[in-house]
Amino acid sequence: MNATTAAIAAILGLTLVKATPLIYAALGGVLSERSGVVNIGLEGILIAGAFTSVAVSGATGNPVIGALAGIVAGMLLAAILAFAATRLAVDQIVAGTGINIAALAAAAFGLVLVWHQPGASHEVPALGHTGEIVLIVLAFVAAGALHLVLNRTPWGLRVRACGEDPSAAESAGIDALATRFWAVVIGGAICSLGGVYLSLAELDLYSDGMTAGRGFIALAAVIFGRWTPLGATGAALFFGFFAALQFSLQQAGVPSELLQALPYLAAIVALAGFAGRVRAPAADGIPYVRP
Amino acid sequence: MTASFTRTRAFRDVVVVIVLVFGVGSVAMLLAHVSPVDGFAALFDGAFGTRGEIAETLVQTTNLLFPALGVALAFRAGLFNIGAEGQLVIGGFAAGWLGAQFPLAGYLAVPMVLLAGVIGGGVWGAIPGVLRARFGANEVISTLMLNVIAVLLTTYLVTGPLQQGNAGASETGPLPKAAQLPDLLSDTRLTWAFVIAIVLAIVLHWVLQRTVFGYELRAAGDAPEAAKRAGIDLGRTALVAMTLSGAIAGLGGATIVAGVLHRFNTGLSPGYGFIAIAVALVGNLEPLWIIVASLGFGILASGAIGMQTEAQVPREVVSLIIGLVIVALAGRRVIATMRST
Repeated sequence: MNATTAAIAAILGLTLVKATPLIYAALGGVLSERSGVVNIGLEGILIAGAFTSVAVSGATGNPVIGALAGIVAGMLLAAILAFAATRLAVDQIVAGTGINIAALAAAAFGLVLVWHQPGASHEVPALGHTGEIVLIVLAFVAAGALHLVLNRTPWGLRVRACGEDPSAAESAGIDALATRFWAVVIGGAICSLGGVYLSLAELDLYSDGMTAGRGFIALAAVIFGRWTPLGATGAALFFGFFAALQFSLQQAGVPSELLQALPYLAAIVALAGFAGRVRAPAADGIPYVRP
Repeated sequence: MTASFTRTRAFRDVVVVIVLVFGVGSVAMLLAHVSPVDGFAALFDGAFGTRGEIAETLVQTTNLLFPALGVALAFRAGLFNIGAEGQLVIGGFAAGWLGAQFPLAGYLAVPMVLLAGVIGGGVWGAIPGVLRARFGANEVISTLMLNVIAVLLTTYLVTGPLQQGNAGASETGPLPKAAQLPDLLSDTRLTWAFVIAIVLAIVLHWVLQRTVFGYELRAAGDAPEAAKRAGIDLGRTALVAMTLSGAIAGLGGATIVAGVLHRFNTGLSPGYGFIAIAVALVGNLEPLWIIVASLGFGILASGAIGMQTEAQVPREVVSLIIGLVIVALAGRRVIATMRST
């Protein structure tokens, strides 16, 4: 292998590393939003997965149990949002914003409770290189699976129906509230794997702010990917590629802030319709209240 | 997406907030092996113990009041402006850069610096306003994205093309004395910004209740269909409301720069623009009640430091409480809808 091939391989490898947490979070967002619940809380769910998996791995000495606990924590946090968004029919945007603030603060508080120090946890038993590869492959499997589930299964049809017109879905005998609830909770499980990847596969600890706005980049990927699993995965890879290129492009004089702003600019461009027709699910973000 | 944001009686919300503050706070303190009595005593002592601490509480109140008024104005128009954080940062940057770049005459310096903040924040609020009015882009996502872009853009500008201070420092140069807001209480960080914020709240109350513009704005928020049929231009109202909302948050950023830090720093806001959402909701989106709500959150924000140093309770407990307050109060809208049907 010559130097150029090695450099390209390194960039592509780094692209996968940067894109994987985004793919998980974006897939969670797609599932939630296709059911009609806007999930601003993706960032908070990433934090829940990242922190809990490290805490439980440290306590049990078993990173796999830690990873599973991280998924459970993500589901629980998503369940709060899901319960609020379905049974209480609250405003999803406001609730999601609150969830992000609460999760970040709870993790910072948890660091002091568990490790008696602010900022970062101790190192804990991690999933290691094998675990990292498994999680990277699993992200693409999850993307394909979610594509099939949404487009080829009765449950997927029900989810999409609830996202487009929940009252019509209910007339057809679908329990729109339950469908939305489970879409958000399962979306939370998928998203939390992104957090587990960050803390327990790429690293072996939790540190304050380690999710670094990836939940919002994932939200941008959902929009740029037009609310489809494969589109969102493509967008996450695109954003991951630029994150991987960041160092090289910085050397070439491109400001790093511009590269970091790229996902957010791309989402705005897509939203404003400059990149072709983009349409959110019709009932996305609108609470459904039974008549 | 959601268009109207009907308001309910504030009383129930206040009860929810008090239960959350003392309930969650007590549980968190017990987890940290601190008696809640000692913890809350330290919190209130940290907020009111000395003249300096009282001043600091009012500084936090001021810093929350501006963005909360901006958020409330947009919410009343049915617009989910969750971009107050970015608007505040851009306003602060415009104020800090102008103030440090041009030595202005004494009586002009402070007004020009504050005006720069108003314009900076207004422009940053107008962008999602235009995107919504012209291209139908949802303002929730665009304001959310613009929050991050604001921090990245100002970081780029102060370390790159518009660098004034030390190389690599993410801040502008210092503001000359003439461009600094005068102290309200000597030897503290409390300035006339506090008075400006209170006056602004009263003016906003009057505008919303007593002017045609305020009526159109509320109509667009409460009943967009009816407002449209009555001849109100919803696109124009949205654009004006978003611009004003951003301008108010930008003014807040400018007062932090001109009054507290005396320069712009990219880390000037510890999330004021997000906490402002909770403040606005607790204040029932009424400018005068928002003054009271800002004071409440100001006490929490400034007392958190005393609670951490005196009672060894991590100050993140306060952020946790604020996050839960936002989740709890997110329910008000549809509770109101269900009541009305």
